[in-house]
Amino acid sequence: MQSVLSLILAFLLIPLLPGIILKTKALFTGKKGPPLLIKYYTLIKLLRKGSVYSTSTTFVFALGPLISCTTAAMALLFFPIAWVKPVLSFQGDIIVLLYLFGLGRFFTIAAALDTASPFEGMGAAREAFFSTLSEITLFGVLILFFRMNGSLSLGGYFAGPAPLSFAGTEAALLVLVVVGLFMVLLAENSRVPVDDPTTHLELTMIHEAMILDHSGPDLALIELGAYCKLFFYAAFVACLLKPPHLNLGFVSATLLFYGLIFLVYAAIGITESVTARLKMPKVAKYLLTSFALVFFAIILTSMELIQ
Amino acid sequence: MNFLLFGLFSILLSGLAPLLLVRRTHLAKGVHSALLAVGCALGLCGLYAASQAGANTSLSFAWLTFSLSLSVDSLATLFLMPLFIVSPLLVLYSYQYLGTSQHTVRTVASYLFFSLLLAAMVLVSMAADMITFVVAWEIMSLASFLLVLYDWEHLQTRKAAHLYLLFTQSGAFCIFIAFALLFAATGSFSFSTEAISALPHSLKLTIFLVALLGFGSKAGAMPLHIWLPHAHPAAPSHVSALMSGVMIKLGVYGMLRIYFLLDDPAFIFAWIILPLGMLSGVLGVVYALAKHDIKRLLAYHSIENIGIILMGCGLGMLGLAAGDRVMAAFGFAGGLLHVLNHALFKSLLFLGAGAIQHSTGIRKLDTLGGLMRRMPVTGRSFLTGSVAISGLPPLNGFISEFLIYYAGFLGLRLTGFNLVLVIATIISLAMIGGLASACFTKMVGIVFLGEPRSKEAALATEAKPAMRVAMILLACICLLIGLFPAPFIGAAFAGLRDLAPLSSLMLSDIVSTISRNLTMAAWLFLALLLGLTGLRRWLYQGKPIQRGSTWGCGFTQANSRIQYTASSYAMDIVDFFRPLVRVRTVYKGLAGNPLPSPAEYSSKTDDLAEIGLQHLLSQPVLWCAAKLRWIQHGRIQSYIAYIVLAIIVVLLAA
Repeated sequence: MQSVLSLILAFLLIPLLPGIILKTKALFTGKKGPPLLIKYYTLIKLLRKGSVYSTSTTFVFALGPLISCTTAAMALLFFPIAWVKPVLSFQGDIIVLLYLFGLGRFFTIAAALDTASPFEGMGAAREAFFSTLSEITLFGVLILFFRMNGSLSLGGYFAGPAPLSFAGTEAALLVLVVVGLFMVLLAENSRVPVDDPTTHLELTMIHEAMILDHSGPDLALIELGAYCKLFFYAAFVACLLKPPHLNLGFVSATLLFYGLIFLVYAAIGITESVTARLKMPKVAKYLLTSFALVFFAIILTSMELIQ
Repeated sequence: MNFLLFGLFSILLSGLAPLLLVRRTHLAKGVHSALLAVGCALGLCGLYAASQAGANTSLSFAWLTFSLSLSVDSLATLFLMPLFIVSPLLVLYSYQYLGTSQHTVRTVASYLFFSLLLAAMVLVSMAADMITFVVAWEIMSLASFLLVLYDWEHLQTRKAAHLYLLFTQSGAFCIFIAFALLFAATGSFSFSTEAISALPHSLKLTIFLVALLGFGSKAGAMPLHIWLPHAHPAAPSHVSALMSGVMIKLGVYGMLRIYFLLDDPAFIFAWIILPLGMLSGVLGVVYALAKHDIKRLLAYHSIENIGIILMGCGLGMLGLAAGDRVMAAFGFAGGLLHVLNHALFKSLLFLGAGAIQHSTGIRKLDTLGGLMRRMPVTGRSFLTGSVAISGLPPLNGFISEFLIYYAGFLGLRLTGFNLVLVIATIISLAMIGGLASACFTKMVGIVFLGEPRSKEAALATEAKPAMRVAMILLACICLLIGLFPAPFIGAAFAGLRDLAPLSSLMLSDIVSTISRNLTMAAWLFLALLLGLTGLRRWLYQGKPIQRGSTWGCGFTQANSRIQYTASSYAMDIVDFFRPLVRVRTVYKGLAGNPLPSPAEYSSKTDDLAEIGLQHLLSQPVLWCAAKLRWIQHGRIQSYIAYIVLAIIVVLLAA
């Protein structure tokens, strides 16, 4: 019951959260910024519209938004939101989810190439490359977590019998993971310093270039999928930051969780305000750095065992 | 067993019967297809009977001084399954794919060799002693060589076929040496474990390594894969499909057979197989990304998938060595299920490539495009195959990769070097997954989506009905395994039943839980997708829908030439692997010329293994041969003197 409740709450709040990033960025530049509910307005606006389809496109173009949104939304069913047991969970679910994200990406890229636009092709090529590298980091995290608590499911990590918590020697490892995951979060959700969602030059875009031709409800689905994915990663980071030895009820845990989520989104906003986008050739190094951090943590767990 | 023998007989007959019907092409084709389908159906019945009978059924008869024996154990069953499922579909495809009127003799001959190849592969899997194995192996190699030669007028085809013959024969040579070593040590040709398992460890290792050279070159493991990217583009598509989907797996089969015969659970075997698998897997897909010829690209993907299979088997070996039999079972089962899966989706993709080539005459990615609208059935089934080979749910490729991941994660309990290997395996598998989907988005995106890049592509028409049916069926089987994985996962684990170290393992609880969960995830995804599709349809009700040209970001003179090409799509990734992949670029540009003039740019990727082979093996051999050329001078008298001399030496030595 609690799991379903927190899932519904999450779905209701998901479009609110990117507003925090915009507010933070506005604060840094001394502007008032758009209203917090801006993303709800955007979704409603898009859903009211019709669409223009390119004559080059086929059914694959329509599959892109559908599959990317489905996979992102499905991931939340397996997520222990606010450390509450998830709706669904099994040993190995995280691998399925990562591969489902891969499926979403496959069709997003295919939809981009379907438009015959050189800009979308360029964005697609970059997405395909960078996501491969961030996938390595994510699997590194899975390896580390398996060695830490013997689990291979999201539920097992945060709501299992021996949940990961930010305490003792584990905390030292988790610091590395949090930083590494945050870097992947920025890359996978097309934020600065990998991608700039607000740029106006198509040549420098990744994700935005891929969805140039989508409009109306299709674009709304893509946006919704992107919010879900961002929430998934942010929640992953937030769950890791749980203070140790804390026995919370459902309400207080939810409050703490969304507090941490707020911090993560604010951190994204701050990162976007104080850094510039990296040159494209540098992105590979950036992503490998995140892998190096996680790999270092894996090495540390092995050292523990040898002694 | 009887079913299998009747099936084998029917398959052989399907090759011989068309010889009598040379003048009546359609009848010959019909008879061939029908007999072959019957043979494969009988074979499947035989496999079912053998798996029900439980015990190892065998049969032997005398030939010259040897006794040839056949048997079907669970491992052979698993390798025979894709063969019997895929081949009838390939024959169906070839019904309209092979030339009709002008090439009758050639078509009939290719039927003969096709049936012979099938029969030989069945025999290789069933062989219970070295002589049978070797004879069948040689027939298999020669039949496939002759099949590659189908278009023998082209110099390129002949070159590719010769390269293949060279590799397959030197591989067979290594296998012979391994068997000779076994025979010398045990004095028996039979594949019986008792005598062999008593051999010293060092001898076992030598035998395994020598055999691995032979089996590895057949399987196409890096760096022994060189023949693959040449032979597959040269052969007709359904032959490439059979060779890539089924035949090269027999290399893996041979390796596993030898491994289990030696019955030596040492770490060293895993230490050899795992790096080999990772190398083949990662480099296979990187080279595939760098190649822009459809069939060559698919050939490199076969190398990648052999890598994945080897990684599964390697994890299995590691599990056995470490005494973790659950991990071992998951590793082997994942590898074996991938054998079946790869046979299905790789055949599908090769058939799709054949349909494209048939319809446009083009194999270069960069001159295709927009085929989804012109060839809807081929396009949709190719898309299915692409998602499957990228290992993405809810299709079959994911199921086997999941089992391998599971074995890998179980292996994280190991320590030291083994742990490092396991971590590297998991990371490589993740990387291969990402790169494979990059490669197949390239393939689907450039070939089927967008706008046609050439006149031929613009004029393409859909494949013929028989070809379409074959592709649709293969795509359906891929989806079927993805949506109902339980029986197939069960079959993969049942394949381990007759393997001594794993026979007594009871895993049904974990296995059924995993099957149930994977099924649930696949159906959940499908249900959500359907729900969202319904929602989307509802949202679009009554909304204005317009068609227009693609948004060119302000540029209004767009044509199909400005699209991203396969080369540009893959450039970043290939660059990332630069030291391992050699890219040559030729740019004849505007240098020094202030006025616009024709410019030219091309890039070509060389295979490091090919270059290495040339430098380390073929050039020294040629050099030595050149130095010995004086022996061959064409004077008969001296040749007679050589003969006399040789006879004297032989007599004295005897």
